[in-house]
Amino acid sequence: MGLFARRSVGPLGPLGAEDRQDPAISGNGRFLASVLEQGGKAMVVLQEQPGGQTVALRHLRGHEPHSSPSLSWNGRYVAALVQQGPERVAILEDRATGKLLRLPLPNGSQPARLSLAPDGQRIAIEVIEGGQSRVQLFDLTGQLEPDLPGGLAVQGGPSVP
Amino acid sequence: MRAPSATTKLGLACAIAASAGLLSGCMGAMPTPMAALNRQLAMAGTNRGPSLSGRWLAVITGRGGRDQVLLLDVARNAPVPVPGLNRGDAKPISVGVDTSGERLALVRQLEGRTELVLYRRSLMSLQPIPMQPAGVPSLVTMRADGKELAVQVSRDGLWQIDLISLP
Repeated sequence: MGLFARRSVGPLGPLGAEDRQDPAISGNGRFLASVLEQGGKAMVVLQEQPGGQTVALRHLRGHEPHSSPSLSWNGRYVAALVQQGPERVAILEDRATGKLLRLPLPNGSQPARLSLAPDGQRIAIEVIEGGQSRVQLFDLTGQLEPDLPGGLAVQGGPSVP
Repeated sequence: MRAPSATTKLGLACAIAASAGLLSGCMGAMPTPMAALNRQLAMAGTNRGPSLSGRWLAVITGRGGRDQVLLLDVARNAPVPVPGLNRGDAKPISVGVDTSGERLALVRQLEGRTELVLYRRSLMSLQPIPMQPAGVPSLVTMRADGKELAVQVSRDGLWQIDLISLP
């Protein structure tokens, strides 16, 4: 095993041999989000840790492909890039309230990656403009309640088949 | 499930809109750009692969054909030194930072191979993290408390995710 212990993400399919990309762990380590190729669609999957039980997300289905998921401390907020018509858009799902927040970007910006601060009070978004990538920070204070260490856990929803 | 707050009604409306494929029905207020920090980033050149944790933002910046990791203190709008992290002959691919700004995980290309390393800022030390079983790392994220990494690894023709505990 060596100095660095490793553990499995946990199974989705019976063989656990799916293509998985874009991992993100919640601050408390209880949830892992990743992007899974399923039926030709790239979908964000949220799994409890350890064990790998899949937790349902309300708002993302139908807006594939998904990419770049990011989680807050207790996994209350799930941010990701999704497809809406011809546009890539950054969204954020509040698993405690069911609220969906779309994060409008300056005109002409195409989001490529994002990173949500663990407390949910800021987000960094990499955008492509004129073929150049740049990172922009946005303040979400006042739009989201902080998700802090020791906060109430949002329990897993029903398993996704 | 946590008790709903005053935003429950909005949440219900958004759930209905989303089920109808109407993400725009839930458009939030425009997030406020952090102008001073965004200017700081623009001055650094192109930048990509953000990792935001606590008061720290790690990005990969490119200027003059050379990529390097830049660590910014968001609260002070200022870069902080990361001595020993960047090498002229290494190309950073992906970076993650913990909420204390002490630990950074880095995927980089060096001498023709791709490796994962852990950087401790107070010690200015770099420690390689071997891929076991063998694989090629391409993306790393760090748990906010710095105790665990999630690594995207190419192995046997598949993308896999390794969860690696840090001592």
